[in-house]
Amino acid sequence: MPGNIRSVSAVRVVLLCLVFCRRLTIIGAAPICTNGQAGCHVLSLANLFDRVIQHSARMHGISNDLHSEFEQYFLPSKNQVGRVSRNCHTSTILTPNGKENAQRMAREELTEVILKLLVAWGDPLWHFHQTLEMSDMVHELRKGVEKVAEKMQMLGIIVNSVSSQASPEALLPSDSAEWRLMKDYDLLYCFRRDSNKVQNYLKILKCRIVPEHGC
Amino acid sequence: MQRHSPQTVSLCQQRVLLALLSNAVLALFFSVSNLYLSLSFCHCLSAPIEPHFTECVSRDQETFRCWWSPGTFHNLSSPGALRVFYLKKDSASREWKECPEYIHSNRECFFDVNHTSVWVPYCMQLRSQDNVNFFNEDYCFTVENIVRPDPPVSLNWTLLNISPSGLSYDVMVNWEPPPSADVGAGWMRVEYEIQYRERNATNWEALEMQPRTQQTIYGLHIGKEYEVHIRCRMQAFTKFGEFSDSIFIQVTEIPSRETTLPLTLILVFGIVGILILIMLIVVSQQRRFMMILLPPVPAPKIKGIDPELLKKGKLDELNFILSGGGMGGLPAYAPDFYQDEPWVEFIEVDAEDADTGEKEDNQGSDTQRLLGLPQPASHHMNIGCSNTVSFPDDDSGRASCYDHDVPEQDTVMLMATLLPGQPEDGEASLIVERAPTPERGERPLIQTQTTGPQTWVNTDFYAQVSNVMPSGGVVLSPGQQLRIQESTSATEEETQKKGKESEGSEETEGKKQKEPQFQLLVSTARQISTPPISPMPGAEYQTIQHPQPAETKPAAAAEDNQSPYILPDSPQSQLFAPVSDYTVVQEVDSQHSLLLNPPPHQSPPPCLPPHPLKALPAMPVGYITPDLLGNLSP
Repeated sequence: MPGNIRSVSAVRVVLLCLVFCRRLTIIGAAPICTNGQAGCHVLSLANLFDRVIQHSARMHGISNDLHSEFEQYFLPSKNQVGRVSRNCHTSTILTPNGKENAQRMAREELTEVILKLLVAWGDPLWHFHQTLEMSDMVHELRKGVEKVAEKMQMLGIIVNSVSSQASPEALLPSDSAEWRLMKDYDLLYCFRRDSNKVQNYLKILKCRIVPEHGC
Repeated sequence: MQRHSPQTVSLCQQRVLLALLSNAVLALFFSVSNLYLSLSFCHCLSAPIEPHFTECVSRDQETFRCWWSPGTFHNLSSPGALRVFYLKKDSASREWKECPEYIHSNRECFFDVNHTSVWVPYCMQLRSQDNVNFFNEDYCFTVENIVRPDPPVSLNWTLLNISPSGLSYDVMVNWEPPPSADVGAGWMRVEYEIQYRERNATNWEALEMQPRTQQTIYGLHIGKEYEVHIRCRMQAFTKFGEFSDSIFIQVTEIPSRETTLPLTLILVFGIVGILILIMLIVVSQQRRFMMILLPPVPAPKIKGIDPELLKKGKLDELNFILSGGGMGGLPAYAPDFYQDEPWVEFIEVDAEDADTGEKEDNQGSDTQRLLGLPQPASHHMNIGCSNTVSFPDDDSGRASCYDHDVPEQDTVMLMATLLPGQPEDGEASLIVERAPTPERGERPLIQTQTTGPQTWVNTDFYAQVSNVMPSGGVVLSPGQQLRIQESTSATEEETQKKGKESEGSEETEGKKQKEPQFQLLVSTARQISTPPISPMPGAEYQTIQHPQPAETKPAAAAEDNQSPYILPDSPQSQLFAPVSDYTVVQEVDSQHSLLLNPPPHQSPPPCLPPHPLKALPAMPVGYITPDLLGNLSP
């Protein structure tokens, strides 16, 4: 255990530096207008999707860098993949694991899955390191996806609104507190995986709904 | 035949034996060591290599393949001797399953779409056929991490441009994404990397990774052949796919010189033709064209003087003319006229003069004060003797130098810078003394008051002080100053005299409006170069006008050698207003006299006797106005 504590503290220091360095290169997503907000021009659905996808790609890139740096500095032994025998705390969320599955999934369900994932990662990241802005990124991405969902509902693409659900925390299973038990490395590993999921799902969704640009 | 002793023979043999033995020992030693080393080496190499997976790769993130190797277990190399098992850790069921599809020829296990789950950890395992031996148990991965996209296809290039120097060029390379990667559905986001090199080089140049399907390569050299290939990978992942086939780019020299050749020829011929034309015009001396090409430069002009003299720089002739030698009018005076009259320059400034000078600071020029010339008010000038030129009413008792008759006479002081005076009120702005009677001119000294009104002509040039007298007087070098002392008091009428040149022209001309017999003595800087120290004003002195030139002819002037004044021959006599320090030469009249600008007319204060000096204040500003000019003409 002392070794774990030591590694944890060192991890936090390293990750703090890494994230701050990358923070400088983060392209801040422009705020999406709320209804009735003056001075904003309403974005099209394609633009909304582009923004959200760009944001999620950035998030995934950062999570990937974090994970690889962590692995390089603290866990030089290879093949740690096998160690992840325990589940990530988001393993309970049913996610499509293949392209066909994702494409066959209904848009509402896919959007809901995305939101679930994003909701699930807000708190753990904040608790992982308060000054890391990953948690903010996740929150912003979640808001963005919610806007996309609203727009889609407005356009009649999806039938029932995802945001009409109860508090997002209800989506999580009751034993979601198990993320507190995860180690830092596992946390990063899971987050990296889930950010990749989110990015892929968003891209699939976009190319299915508004395929004109960049698909 | 020489017989060897048995002892020598035995020694030799012993030596040979020894050598052989040593060799044998060495050989043995080496062989043993080699054996030992080889044995040990063999021991290392003899460790068996287990069967293992070489790699698992996915090309499209929907399927993947795994390859294995039996290692050194050659008995397991036969197909079916090793079995592949995998474990998907995505559900509660954690059981090992066998490979869904074997390709034994390749020792490959293929997982199709149904068996592939992304974001799910897989663990692979090799087992022997009898499930006894497990090999390589901890090879785990997730599918998205083992994706290596296929190389892009349809790689081609187009020429963008060629540099102006014709040595380098840019190409645009474009391609298509690999067909296996479903980029269109957004399932895979791919970024590309182009690499190129010269044909025979060993190192590749890699360009920056970017997700677009085209890229520009800059700075390729003409004539060289380049090899280009491309590969790609998933964004934010690390594993690259394979390189595509290479394409070759080569651009040979483009003979573009031909298009520029006619232009250069035209330019050259045009310039040569223009040059020839200009030469012809110049040579043929056509006036018309010459005027157009080379317009003449205007020559300097001075009225009354032939410009040719000015152009050719004949200074002596010019001086002669200006001095009136050849044109009649102005008399030519001997340069050394005043060689022997050093007193001309001698001035003595009275102590009172300073006060009065300050009082009337604005009324007189510095030169006048310096020279002690009578200022408008009670200005006393002690010239030579204790007498000072003073006004009758201010006579401070130095009448000995004065002739009381003088006050009745017109006394004006001729200032150095004589101006064309304004005769209108009969007041002479210029202090020109009446020409004294010859008998007055006895005194050789500057006390020419005794000899008559001496008119001091203050030419107001820059005078070089050659000496300072013990009594306080200043000896000025000639050529600049000529003062005609006013011996008598100023009269009511002030005559105005026209001064001579201001700028050193040789000719002076005083036009006196009034009264007779006053003489002006004006020094002219005939030679500016070296004013003689000795008071030889003669060279510079020149007579100026004389009011009544009839009486006072040059003969009289000659008689009045001692008098400081010279009688000018000029019939014209006009008194002019005193000349200011700087005067503008208006023009040169027929007699080669300079018409200077008069000072603005000023009436002296009525309480003061009309002294020419009173008008001095106006002198510094003495410019003639057109209406005044009309009054100048005699």
